[in-house]
Amino acid sequence: MPELSIALQVLFWGIYAGCIYMLLATGLTLIFGVMKVVNFAHGEFLMLGCYATFWIVVLLGINPYLAILPAMLILGLLGIAVERLAFRPIMGTGKLNEIFVSLGLIYILQNGVAFLWGDDFRSMHSPYAAKTIPLGGINLPLDYVILVGFTALILIALHLFLKKTRLGRAMRATSQNRKAAQLMGINVERIDMLCFGLGVALAAAAGALWAISGQLFNPYTGSLPAIKAFAIIILGGLGSIPGAIVGGLIYGIAENAGGYLFGNHWKDAISFLILIAVLVVRPHGIFGEGEE
Amino acid sequence: MKRAHLLWAAALLAGLLLPLVAGDSPYLMKVLIIMVIFIIYTHSWNLLTYSGQASLGHAAFFGIGGYASALLASRLELSPFITIFIGAGFAALAGLLVGAICVRLREWFLAMVTFGFSIIIGTIFLNQFTDIFGGVDGIPARRFFSATLEHRYLYEYYFMLLLAIATTLLVYWIMRSRLGVAFAAIRENELEAKVLGVDVVRYKLVAFLISTYIAGLAGALQTHSFAYITPEIYSVHNSFWPVIYAIAGGLATLEGPIVGTVVVTLIWEGLKNLGLSFERFVIIGALLVAMVIFKPRGLASIFDRWR
Repeated sequence: MPELSIALQVLFWGIYAGCIYMLLATGLTLIFGVMKVVNFAHGEFLMLGCYATFWIVVLLGINPYLAILPAMLILGLLGIAVERLAFRPIMGTGKLNEIFVSLGLIYILQNGVAFLWGDDFRSMHSPYAAKTIPLGGINLPLDYVILVGFTALILIALHLFLKKTRLGRAMRATSQNRKAAQLMGINVERIDMLCFGLGVALAAAAGALWAISGQLFNPYTGSLPAIKAFAIIILGGLGSIPGAIVGGLIYGIAENAGGYLFGNHWKDAISFLILIAVLVVRPHGIFGEGEE
Repeated sequence: MKRAHLLWAAALLAGLLLPLVAGDSPYLMKVLIIMVIFIIYTHSWNLLTYSGQASLGHAAFFGIGGYASALLASRLELSPFITIFIGAGFAALAGLLVGAICVRLREWFLAMVTFGFSIIIGTIFLNQFTDIFGGVDGIPARRFFSATLEHRYLYEYYFMLLLAIATTLLVYWIMRSRLGVAFAAIRENELEAKVLGVDVVRYKLVAFLISTYIAGLAGALQTHSFAYITPEIYSVHNSFWPVIYAIAGGLATLEGPIVGTVVVTLIWEGLKNLGLSFERFVIIGALLVAMVIFKPRGLASIFDRWR
């Protein structure tokens, strides 16, 4: 049945795209939950994740999958620096300022990378690039299967971190009620910083997987995924991690199905139509609770 | 006469005399013409922000105005001097539509929807109705003045300057009027404004209507000045420039768009002459971040003590 195998193919590609979106959106929603800041430059950290992975693999010649954690660590530290230098000074001075600072960061990061390493498309090759796994009449690229597994692993680790560790609990407390958390002796500014670093590290993981799975990347790769991640966290409810995960999955599948049905150049426009529809019909997202 | 009046008079004089600096260089004249167009465009973005609605997709209206005017001029054989005002009306119609969708949204939500709208519009103009919009190649647009006319850049510059002055006066009048007071009230606290009897929905739509009309006008001006238009006009840069200019100059002030556009254009062109490419964007980005952190009221606030 060719229709079924095409549907499966579209579904699987959707899940694959969804994994990247999930990681990106989880990071974004984590930062939003704690700091109530939307970082429009979040996608630029995905792009930097691509480059970090690329350079680690090129310079050290190791298996790309081993480069994911170092890339996350490097970007996490960079994220902490960005929080300290750019976002901390404007915390509480109005939402518009956050948008404007992220806009500036987008310019700095994109063109900084273009200046350092040029703006040509790059790609890298995984040692498993040619291998596939047959499933239900279609051949799944092995890399994509590993990628889905990796995403699950990272999300489970995140879940355990937030639920079981002291620091994770402090993050959740700050997210629920900043003042009360402060009264309980939590250093909320330190939490902000670490949380931003963690969110950026998750974006870097998305970037690393994006690059390893053979996708092309250049300094401007991050902008569109970032906007989509934003749409996803609205879809899932701002600040909600389960919402970001389910939203990412739905989004990835919807986008690929839409791209298949209407042609690929419509992919991005479709994502925005979804976003606008969600915003107009349910401004607090599908899982979000009413606020304001 | 107050010192502020002196400053405005000086700015006007500078605007009138600026072509002297350019001399015979067509390159410099083009830079000046685009600068004046972007003063108008930044006014439009700034006015919307004055009502508390920050758009990140103003390029959509900039482009719709441009395409509509170019098509009207070529299909109906009308003079560009007329079609720019009709074309801007199409942008205002689109603006009214987006405004109606966005009426309940604020801050990032509004920013996202406007941003998304400009991407969708860009996709449509690139891929659909290619017999009308010309696809990736775009369509030609009639010039304001014949390409063979002597001093045509000079005429064009003064025409743009005239419109920029008119726009500035219009924004001044709006900010001073009941309308402006309502906009500011909505910006500062929407709920309180509503409680005090301001028809929030109506005023927000009015802000969208006026702002997108001016944006469309600016887009039409650029289109007929370049003599062509392509979907490139919907690029994010065209959405972000007015943001950068207005913040550099002073957000939600009358003089901000003028000061910001002039200063940033000077920096931008100066860096270009130094042979920088990507670094220019890095510098502009750093400038934006630094302005928001250290000088949130913009460069125009330097003149505050003159008042």
